[in-house]
Amino acid sequence: MTTLLSEPTFVSGIRSVPSRRRPLAGFAHLFWFMVRRDRLRAPVWMASIIGLIAASTASVVNMFETPAELQEYATLARADAAVKAFAGPGYGLDDPTLGAVVMNEILVYTLIVVALMCVFLLIRHTRAEEETDRAELVRAAGVGRLATMAAACVWVGIINVVVATGLTLSLLAFGLPVTGTLAYGSVTCAIGMVFIGVAAAAAQIASSARAATAASGATLGVFFVMRAVGDLGTGWVTWLSPLGWAQSVRAFADERWWVLVPLVLGAAAFTAVAVALSTRRDLGAGFFKQRPGPADGSDHLATPLAMAFRLQRTSLIAWTIGLAMLGFFFGIVADQAEAMLENEAIADFFARAGAGTPTEMFLATTVLMVALTASGYTVSTVLRLRTDEMAVRAEPVLAMPVGRATWLMSYLTVSAVGTIVVMVVTGLAIGIGSAAQLGDGGQILAVLAAALAMVPALLVLAALTVALIGIRPKWAPLAWAGVVISAVSGLLAETLSLPQSIRNMSPFEHVPAMPAASFELVPIALLVLVAIGLTFGGLAAITRRDIG
Amino acid sequence: MSTAISLRNVVKTFGPTRALDGLDLEIATGEVHGYLGPNGSGKSVTIRTLLGLLRHDSGEVRLLGGDPWRDAVALHNRLAYVPGDVSLWPNLSGGEIIDYFARLRGDVDKARRDELIERFELDPRKKAGTYSKGNRQKVALVVALSSNAELLLLDEPTAGLDPLMETVFQEYILALAKQGRTVMLSSHILAEVEKLCDRVTIIRHGRTVQTGTLDDLRTTTRTAVTVSTDRKVEGFETTSGVHAVRTQGGSLRFEVDNDALGEAMSRLAGFGIRALVSQPPTLEALFLREYGDDLDEVDQTR
Repeated sequence: MTTLLSEPTFVSGIRSVPSRRRPLAGFAHLFWFMVRRDRLRAPVWMASIIGLIAASTASVVNMFETPAELQEYATLARADAAVKAFAGPGYGLDDPTLGAVVMNEILVYTLIVVALMCVFLLIRHTRAEEETDRAELVRAAGVGRLATMAAACVWVGIINVVVATGLTLSLLAFGLPVTGTLAYGSVTCAIGMVFIGVAAAAAQIASSARAATAASGATLGVFFVMRAVGDLGTGWVTWLSPLGWAQSVRAFADERWWVLVPLVLGAAAFTAVAVALSTRRDLGAGFFKQRPGPADGSDHLATPLAMAFRLQRTSLIAWTIGLAMLGFFFGIVADQAEAMLENEAIADFFARAGAGTPTEMFLATTVLMVALTASGYTVSTVLRLRTDEMAVRAEPVLAMPVGRATWLMSYLTVSAVGTIVVMVVTGLAIGIGSAAQLGDGGQILAVLAAALAMVPALLVLAALTVALIGIRPKWAPLAWAGVVISAVSGLLAETLSLPQSIRNMSPFEHVPAMPAASFELVPIALLVLVAIGLTFGGLAAITRRDIG
Repeated sequence: MSTAISLRNVVKTFGPTRALDGLDLEIATGEVHGYLGPNGSGKSVTIRTLLGLLRHDSGEVRLLGGDPWRDAVALHNRLAYVPGDVSLWPNLSGGEIIDYFARLRGDVDKARRDELIERFELDPRKKAGTYSKGNRQKVALVVALSSNAELLLLDEPTAGLDPLMETVFQEYILALAKQGRTVMLSSHILAEVEKLCDRVTIIRHGRTVQTGTLDDLRTTTRTAVTVSTDRKVEGFETTSGVHAVRTQGGSLRFEVDNDALGEAMSRLAGFGIRALVSQPPTLEALFLREYGDDLDEVDQTR
């Protein structure tokens, strides 16, 4: 008889140190495995955030060259409630330095993107893993109860430190004072740590990765609103929000370093909550039990299209509300445009909008920004096709009497209809916001038309995604390149002096900047044709390839 | 008798891998056909080709008289499929998913659906994300078994079911077979195959190695024999068709190909047979033989 197994070496009994007391067993293995999984993702996050913020800083630095210009900005920003709501109370603007102005422009923005990065990465390595069966295999090995979360916190923490360091160095490169820059880097890093804690806690409480991400995002939103309310007058509310603490460190405005203490304590508190919850919770379960669903399916749920709508309902509602709120705020500020555009550099920024009144140019740029954000919805919705195919959920559907074209068109239709809904509601919100402030109801329809004119450009991105999925689902995430090119050429073209050939790659470049410019049929019709062409390309390709 | 499924010399490659390498398969209308083979032998690829999800490189594939790639949608009206690994939308309830699939086919039999849900002891109100593997499998089974499809393609449909549910499954398949429906059953559970299947096909490395009824297959394999003789048997190893000869406690044990049984017996008769026990090949032995890469290796491990 051959020996089937070599002689085993048993670990004697239940080891003297039970796993309860070795909660971090396996930490190093898990950590290096996360590094390995993120070998592409982490550098992309780092480079995108540092690049984006550096480009924004560059545009601010270029805009304000003389003390007079800084003073002009400061006067405006301090008088404007909407600017305060978005950017903060404007520390240091009573005697404006370039650093203080840069902070007013980029600090909140930086904190939000860094917080989101930390949330996405942390959930990816914790809660999202639990939804696959992988986490179970890992936990069944000699891995302690806290090891996965600890490894994820440390890894995302390192990424966060690298990003904060990169941002600090880039501000130094623009010649900003060292002390203020260090304060900026420290608060950015601290907010990253706070949101690592928030996400780790949400990962324990929520019943799915999506819910955990949503809960963390909502926490960020609540913190943002709290500090906005505080900055608008009810000062004490600011102190309930870590974002408020971060601003209260007053980078470039006579720094108050001690405020870093509550930030660090906050990060520690959230992490402690996560640790406490995680030792009490079942793997894969949340603190909130899932409610039972209906025993029968609705009569309407009879086609892939109906299913796609059912699955994307919540996402569409969330995007619509979020963008409408953003649009409404921008609408309210529109009346300030006149004064802002007295600054030549700011006027340059809005120049692409053409030859309208300052308010019209501001509204046109707002519509563009909203449309660029909405492209996230448009593309991610179509990409659900890829998720379904990768998770082998598409296969049983296609084994039914359902054509591949029907399947492909289901999510494309949801994306297209959803995009129209988002743009109509957001267009109305911007219009109503500006009309309320300007007392001019005529703007509402003009802004709505401008928002609708963006739809064909968004459809081009949706159709591009469909074409990629049709050809090869692996390539589908390349659709995000279309979004990035559009965003960069739409917002940073002047700053980066991009050549026209690159700007032309963005479908939004071809949309007339209404309401500042007038409607033009030809480019819109061409965009629609491109979208139709790409869709047909995708439909033709999908019937030629293997599924799965 | 008409043919429900026929594959002739079918080749399907994924890059350098030849998943199907000249596969032949014939399933008659109305039969329950066992489709067996080791892991990675190409069973799922065959079924997914039959569903028109994969396009074969060469050879001929016919399903219910049509071309599964070209006529996919029309053919899918007439068949039901149960995958081996069922993946569902985690935030929908089991009942919602079952009804969605039934409506996609436009083939809703509420009474039958409710009966199946009850027999399989599935809670249709639970969100699919909380289902175990067995329960996800039940969702797919309820969809397939409540349909009026004339052909069922089942890819390891009972992986994850407990023995009680396995019995329920078998009961329904036998009932479907009685109605004259065709079933292609890929499975590793030999008792299930033995109980349900009229004929079986065994594939390996994307090629058919055996096909026929289980009785047919048994005759192509070996019988194990233990024999005691008056005189010591000598030179028996050289008899053609005789394998694994060894002496144990004064008796001789060996295995013999069924078609060489007569020859072996007449050789032994010369030594004076006192006692003889012969064991027909078990199904396990049959599969081990067909699945294994090397026959001698199989002999050794037994």
